[in-house]
Amino acid sequence: MGPLVVNELISENTNLLLGFIIGIGFGFVLESSGFSSSRKLAGVFYGYDTVVLKVFFTAAITAMLGMLFLSLFGWLDLNLVYVNPTYLTSAIIGGIVMGAGFIIGGFCPGTSFAGASIGKIDAMVFIGGLFIGVIIFSEGYPLWDDLYTSAFKGSPKISESLGLSDGMAALLVILAAIGMFYVAEWAEKKFPREEY
Amino acid sequence: MKAREILSISIVGLGLIIAAVPENTTHPYKLTPSQLLEEVKGRNQFFSPDELAEKLVNKDPSVQLIDVRDQDEFEKFSLPGAINIPLIDLLNEKWTEVLDQDLKANIFYSNGSVEANEAWMITRQLGYNNLFVLEGGLNYWIETIMSPQKPASTSPNEELARYDFRQAAGSALGGGGAVQLAAPADQGAVVKPGLTKKPGKKKASGGC
Repeated sequence: MGPLVVNELISENTNLLLGFIIGIGFGFVLESSGFSSSRKLAGVFYGYDTVVLKVFFTAAITAMLGMLFLSLFGWLDLNLVYVNPTYLTSAIIGGIVMGAGFIIGGFCPGTSFAGASIGKIDAMVFIGGLFIGVIIFSEGYPLWDDLYTSAFKGSPKISESLGLSDGMAALLVILAAIGMFYVAEWAEKKFPREEY
Repeated sequence: MKAREILSISIVGLGLIIAAVPENTTHPYKLTPSQLLEEVKGRNQFFSPDELAEKLVNKDPSVQLIDVRDQDEFEKFSLPGAINIPLIDLLNEKWTEVLDQDLKANIFYSNGSVEANEAWMITRQLGYNNLFVLEGGLNYWIETIMSPQKPASTSPNEELARYDFRQAAGSALGGGGAVQLAAPADQGAVVKPGLTKKPGKKKASGGC
């Protein structure tokens, strides 16, 4: 049955409409959970507030479980789900740049728009920086073309690389996530801040 | 018990279930028997020799010929640019990339059209697209393109024009009057078009 677009059960336009509605819901939840505060995101790195980490990891394992169960019931063909190809070098460099941007700016792309929507000036400045980065990257693309596309790994999955079944890999990720949540909460007690 | 503990335990429980159950490897067929029957009734899967000859003469890159006969027969004679996927080997994983793609028209051929049609049926059932069958197979190809019969001089103009085209195409493709099945060498090495990777189904917008 699924994915809906690939199997032409819904059109590309309906897909965009659904994405629009889900996007609004996503933004609403981000804002109402306080993600529009730059201190919340920076808190992950200083250990005083790890809500962001917990929320996004919970979202990831929920989606993972959901897809695996849908596939188990035959409602979703996982082979048709697009997996972003992995370019190792650019993934590492991009990760460092983005992580540094998180600490310095206090937003990630999604939360910066949530912040801008409630009128936060720092979020708007962050979005400005985001566009400057996009322009530099795309206009200067020939300069980093080689770097960007080096160490191409295809679309590997954790389960395939470890030689496990998808379900087993999912269980490992869940256990790792719960372990991480405990460490995160320990950090929150260790590095508390009164007001932020 | 706190809410977070209940949540953690239930997520781990679900994880244990998903780790324990066998993976669902069944792929739902894309075509129901009635849909397939509709396609067969429409006879849209057939590529006529004239259409194919035109594409071959023009070296149209959107066509991929697939010879479903066995290797011996393929080596004796094959159409220009064809690749050999014997019918018995059709489901071998190494051919998936060739068969399951959206870029080219894959045209199956065999001596007649039975084997090619069988290959077409099986791959259509797998949900692959852009699959065709050379009408009448190689026998009809040789009859029409390689050694066309001159129509009577009283025939309508279209028929004479078609004869001219077939004769020209036949000689361009290495036939021309007498067909020499045993001497395909004069066509030079069989050119195998490079495989093109299937593009991703859709773009994912990631990040947070």
